[in-house]
Amino acid sequence: MRLTFSAVSKTFLSLRGPVRAVRGVDLAVGEGEFFVLLGPSGCGKSTVLNLAAGLVKPNSGEIRLGGRVVASRDGKVFVSPKERNVAMVFQSYALYPHLTVFENIAFPLRVAGVTKDEIDKAVNQAAGMLGIGDIREARPAELSGGQRQRVAIARAIVRKPALFLLDEPLSNLDAGLRASTRSELKRLQRELGVTTVYVTHDQTEAMTLGDRIALLRDGRIVQTGTPEDLYERPETPFAASFIGQVPMNLVDASVREEGGDLYLRLGEARLLLPPGPAARVRSIGSAEILFGIRPEHIGIARGTAGSPATGTVTALENLGREVLLQVRVDSLPLSVLTNDKSIREGDTVALDIPLEAAHFYEEGVG
Amino acid sequence: MSDQTQVRLLYRAGALGIAIFSLGPILYMALTAVSVRPDFLSPDAGFTVTAAHFVSVLRTTSLHFPEYLRNSLIVSGLSAAFCVAIASPAAYAITRLPLPGRILFLLCILAVSLFPPVSMVSYLFQVMGNLGWINTYPALVLPYIAWILPLSLWILTSYFAQVPADLDRAALIDGCSRLAILRKVIFPVAAPGIFSTALLAFIFAFNEFLFALMLTTDHAARTVPVGIALFEGLHGEIPWGVVMAASVLTTVPVVLLTLVFQRRIIQGLTRGAIKG
Repeated sequence: MRLTFSAVSKTFLSLRGPVRAVRGVDLAVGEGEFFVLLGPSGCGKSTVLNLAAGLVKPNSGEIRLGGRVVASRDGKVFVSPKERNVAMVFQSYALYPHLTVFENIAFPLRVAGVTKDEIDKAVNQAAGMLGIGDIREARPAELSGGQRQRVAIARAIVRKPALFLLDEPLSNLDAGLRASTRSELKRLQRELGVTTVYVTHDQTEAMTLGDRIALLRDGRIVQTGTPEDLYERPETPFAASFIGQVPMNLVDASVREEGGDLYLRLGEARLLLPPGPAARVRSIGSAEILFGIRPEHIGIARGTAGSPATGTVTALENLGREVLLQVRVDSLPLSVLTNDKSIREGDTVALDIPLEAAHFYEEGVG
Repeated sequence: MSDQTQVRLLYRAGALGIAIFSLGPILYMALTAVSVRPDFLSPDAGFTVTAAHFVSVLRTTSLHFPEYLRNSLIVSGLSAAFCVAIASPAAYAITRLPLPGRILFLLCILAVSLFPPVSMVSYLFQVMGNLGWINTYPALVLPYIAWILPLSLWILTSYFAQVPADLDRAALIDGCSRLAILRKVIFPVAAPGIFSTALLAFIFAFNEFLFALMLTTDHAARTVPVGIALFEGLHGEIPWGVVMAASVLTTVPVVLLTLVFQRRIIQGLTRGAIKG
């Protein structure tokens, strides 16, 4: 079922004054889409999810679910969570501690007044899909974190919701379990074909799970797009630094025009901008810019032979398959990812900075 | 003597001291109840065991002990039931609503219970007299509810605050109304708190003396503490053996209730709701 937000805002009142958690958010989640809300803590992503669930009323704007208006301040419409047929998985799992696994999963069906036979069938099916059929009589306190997680997911899918909401469901699992549950969630969502909104602060989860990602900051959507869009074409320095295993290098640089060509000055280095990047830099219309390049795109070799940019390795982190180097180019610090394990701390290196893969931003713009 | 032994010795001595201090009077009460003569500690008296006091408490109709006990159980039971029934939705609202200055609100409620009962009893006597309720159950139950409610509210608030709010949200999403959440999720999860509050309210009402003394006149509504205090012997002397036997019998329901509920007052029921 489609979910749309139009100019939705939510302000919470506290003793220290109003907190503007969500500010004019526009969203459109397509039928059957796996949509990820990504952002640092306190960016309002959980509030967006609670607005979709009906746990929170918006102060302004309109929310539609499958074409039906479910919340609108102006239209005086508010549809309770019960009538929205949404399901939610919480970071804390929120299992009912006094009920067995079976009763936990059956709970939404019992509230809805489904017959006993149908409950048995639906619960067994959901428990089977998640491989928890053998712990049906256990209580939540007896379960491991991974099992609780599965029970929470089973409870959410058991009544075939129109919208599936997940609030950081993997953040309480250990690393190994997180990776396997991640791929399982993806498979489950494909199988059920249910529209899903997933909240996380982990860009890896967002990149691997999402059909599309909305990046949030301070209650606003910074950028919406496919994982490729966000990785390849981050529209702001914030998006650029938030997406990527190792954050993108963002350094101050200046631009000089010499004889019709544009040159980029990175510290002492002077690099000729090819036509494509040159056009992008011109569109910024300023001589002082913010230059961004991903650590994995920078080439590196020992020695200085004929290279326009050279630097010194100041720190080195072995990540296993690759090495993360901190290289100082004049006064500018750059991170570089390389497979070359022969480079040592203190080495002088030549850098190959492919300007076609670089990003240019106006200075001082978040 | 090592430090550890010293600590252990002091610990045991302290525990023994407290036990003797608290249980001594009860032991003395029990012994007096089964002794032929109340002054069994004096050298010329001697200690002879008898059940006569118990028999006379239960059989002597002029003492009205069974009626007092019945009144006490009904009045205390009603007070406890009403207190929990009123305090639990209130506590739920206090813990769940976005209420700025919640603590101020709770302190105001606590302040109500700080008035000494003796300052209100004469006024209460007039009110109940005008209503024609003197010597009826409502005359005791209503003031007891008002008197115990603030405490019940405080205890339940602290219990409900421990129930994670995510459980409410999950239940809302699963289709429950707020009242259904209270009944199906909060009550079962906070059951230890409900039971201890009910038990405490019961004991408070069961032990209350002043209101019961002023607002009742005879065995139609008089409760055990007052009843026992007004026991009189045939010739005006205090019948210690009978008084003590009645006291022993009075502790039985309270001890039984505590034992029964203790099995329900198990902590750790909320463990496992949240990642542990």
